[in-house]
Amino acid sequence: MRDQPVLSLRVAAAEAIAPTLRRVSLRAADGARLPPAAAGAHITLSLPASGHARPLKNAYTLVSADLEHGYTLIVRRTDPTRGGSQHIHEALAVGDVLEASVPHNLFALHSQAKKVLMIGGGIGITPLLAFIAALRARGTRFELHQICNSADLRVFAALIGAQPGEAVHLHAGRSTFDAAVVLGAQPLGTHVYSCGPAALMDAIAAQAAALGWPASHVHREDFGAAGGEPFTLTIGTSGARITVAADQTMLEALEAAGIDAGSLCRGGACGVCALPVRAGELEHRDHYLSADERQSGAVVMPCVSRARGDSLVLDI
Amino acid sequence: MSGQDIKSRPVYTPLARDPAGRAHLLIIDDAAPPAEAFAPGTSAADFPETWSVAAHSQALPAPLAGNGAQAFRSASHLIAMLRHRLARETMGLRLYAIGAEHFCWDVAACASAAGMGRDEFFLYAAGKPARRVVCVHCRTLNEGVSTNLITCTGCHARLFVRDHFSRLGNAFMGVQIDAEVPGETIEIEELSA
Repeated sequence: MRDQPVLSLRVAAAEAIAPTLRRVSLRAADGARLPPAAAGAHITLSLPASGHARPLKNAYTLVSADLEHGYTLIVRRTDPTRGGSQHIHEALAVGDVLEASVPHNLFALHSQAKKVLMIGGGIGITPLLAFIAALRARGTRFELHQICNSADLRVFAALIGAQPGEAVHLHAGRSTFDAAVVLGAQPLGTHVYSCGPAALMDAIAAQAAALGWPASHVHREDFGAAGGEPFTLTIGTSGARITVAADQTMLEALEAAGIDAGSLCRGGACGVCALPVRAGELEHRDHYLSADERQSGAVVMPCVSRARGDSLVLDI
Repeated sequence: MSGQDIKSRPVYTPLARDPAGRAHLLIIDDAAPPAEAFAPGTSAADFPETWSVAAHSQALPAPLAGNGAQAFRSASHLIAMLRHRLARETMGLRLYAIGAEHFCWDVAACASAAGMGRDEFFLYAAGKPARRVVCVHCRTLNEGVSTNLITCTGCHARLFVRDHFSRLGNAFMGVQIDAEVPGETIEIEELSA
């Protein structure tokens, strides 16, 4: 994004830890120290994508950020891929140099939490791995429920490396995880962090609210659902028309057209990419705008939200 | 020196039950809370569980009992039992406190120590002004202060009571009246709140 320092990172190691999971270690290309990042932080990588003139920007959570060993990511190959994970799985090699944003943290641990309850779905385990390391170091009580398909159970268990006495629960599928029971048994001062499919995080948030949890104790990591029906974006000031494909976000379409919209989390959480709307019906998918702002239809978060019809006019 | 304009002083909103809460505990440092402590349409009867302080109370309080009304012999006894209770509570509880300002903030300190956030407890300071004043010179806490000028019980300095309240320290600030200009003093006034 504009006026943001850009890091140049060199791939120090890359290994498959499961058929669809690749762990990538990154260090500063010039050998300098990388900026520190607290647990829950992410970086945005610029990745070359086949069939796209401009690089794709994908946000990845840092599984660990060590001043000596650099940043570590775990990337799942998604299917259908939008290009970013495909590049990491098929083309990325040790020695490659990538551009990245400095780390930003929109999913930070609450320092006053008496206990941290973590609920992960699938690859949503990545920030939780960083949390576990931080909580172990702090000596803060935690409980982890990781939901995954049975093929991932062993590799996830190895990544977590549960120590004796730790409340770590791996669930093969949603059926053995009862959100009401887990959320209903938590002591005062617990903060819950969920990362995974939107439906899982929505269910956690709804159950927590029903049990009287204040919103300030309920945290979620949003990596927005990108896809939807294709539509045409019109730039109000120039009249230029941009097609947003079904597997593309509005923000990506703007960037592909050479418009630097400015973004940070690319997941509907931070509000940096918000754009004014002149006309068109909206499908808001972010967690940033207030109910009034949504209702007004005058502003949209292009990283996750879409047009409800076949066209949208932006006031830019 | 009167007419202090200290904007950081806590402002108290009359209490109503937080509809988002699962359980509600009302705590009062007196048997009868003033009507103005409640929002319109709300009364003490709307809170399923009430703890209060009643001198010479003969009852043996059961801190984990749940709904109903209980009386404690002293505020300090109530606060000790509250600490015990909160350590065993689950998420979803809301606390409400009515009473002297220092009592309300003792409850707030219990809640914070138990990990409750600012959206899980609600305070309403009521009653005659009876401030807890910390002497900034010797750190003695002077209780029950109702005037703007006192003699510190610790170091005997004449203290001007500033309208400056520390939420963390749960006390108002007392500063030697003639610290800047030796011999300077002011008229003693009753504090209004």
